[in-house]
Amino acid sequence: MNIVFNFFPVLLFLAFLFLLDSFQLVRVKTLIMCLLWGAVCAVFAYFLNTLVAEKWAVEFSTLSRYVAPVIEEMMKALFIFFLISKKKIGFMIDAAIYGFAVGAGFSLTENIYILFNSPPEYNLLTWIIRGFGTAIMHGGCTSFFAVLFVGGINRSGNRLFAAFPGLLLAILFHSGFNHFPLNPVLQTLLIVALLPVAFVLVFRLSNKKLQQWLEIEFNSEVKILNMIRKGDFGSTKAGEYLKSLKEQFKPETIVDMYCYIGLYLELSIIVKRNLMLKENDFEIIVEDDVQPKLNELVQLRKQIGKVGELALSPLIRMDYRNLWKLNQLQG
Amino acid sequence: MNVEILAAADYSLVTVEGRVDTTNANEFEKSMLSVVDGGATKIVLDCAGLNYISSSGLRVFLIVQKKMIAIKGKFALCCLQPEIKEIFDISGFSSIFSIYADKEAAIKG
Repeated sequence: MNIVFNFFPVLLFLAFLFLLDSFQLVRVKTLIMCLLWGAVCAVFAYFLNTLVAEKWAVEFSTLSRYVAPVIEEMMKALFIFFLISKKKIGFMIDAAIYGFAVGAGFSLTENIYILFNSPPEYNLLTWIIRGFGTAIMHGGCTSFFAVLFVGGINRSGNRLFAAFPGLLLAILFHSGFNHFPLNPVLQTLLIVALLPVAFVLVFRLSNKKLQQWLEIEFNSEVKILNMIRKGDFGSTKAGEYLKSLKEQFKPETIVDMYCYIGLYLELSIIVKRNLMLKENDFEIIVEDDVQPKLNELVQLRKQIGKVGELALSPLIRMDYRNLWKLNQLQG
Repeated sequence: MNVEILAAADYSLVTVEGRVDTTNANEFEKSMLSVVDGGATKIVLDCAGLNYISSSGLRVFLIVQKKMIAIKGKFALCCLQPEIKEIFDISGFSSIFSIYADKEAAIKG
């Protein structure tokens, strides 16, 4: 019975979140990596916490309330930081799930250790509190860090700046939980009752944003690409803007910009189409020429250069979400 | 947007006119699902009067297509205006749906 309360709540919660991902943004391989990272963090955090406690003679209550939350949340956050640096997370939904998976991996490993080294006074209630309270708290903290981080990076673009508020909140929440301000059973009940509601709200908001994003860009992109293919791009406002750049850039750079816009739009439309297909459980369409086109886009981006890209920013801005979008076509 | 539904013996003909966008996609979805839930095994969507469709509208098409596949039914689009057809072609949705040039072909197909 102890094992059931040790493992199942957090895994069930993770499965619940995974099922809420209607656009299927989460990749199973990355999810497993998150769980593994969480497990690795738990091992390292154990040694680090022990080292700090022994070296500075920190009492257990101080360690669990002030030191462990900082060490553990920072370690768990590292993998989310890595995923965001690699543009593997696009929206709050995938951020929440990956974050929760890191926390789940952490708490599962921690609970395995405690299961084999538990003091005799540990009873069923302790395992219920650990399984439903502590474990889900670990997942929730990293999850909310990831959600705030991805929200911040889509707004500001600066990774460190975007990561800070979420990390601070995760540490504060973790520390607050370890203070046990309420009766542990009540605290656990609150987590079990409130966290799913919070996740559902976050997912609804994210789904709405995703749909708005698809709605706003999809049609205008199709329209502009259509004009490019018909050779009518010059008559559009975007085309006029591109013409206005002729005096500042070499003719071959203008040609590259023209190709870059067309290629970018084509790939962007493919990603959005695939998202819409995935949302409705259709097999995505895999075009054979996507990878060469992606390579060409990267090459064109280099040839245009930073200044050229800046000049094109009123038409195409390679912000975090756009880079994430193109990343969806890889592999 | 204006939607008209005509139930024939072996198919249901839905005629859509105007724009299908975020503001009315839910209404369009309800109309389409009422046809699906009514037991139609073949739905022909006449798009001759459809002059604008956004991604919200395309999502409704996908929902209907998914439901019709699940009951081994058929969902056919016909009479798409060139601008609308281009949206399907450019985005690659043409390969997902059965698209016919005219109503008769869609009913027969």
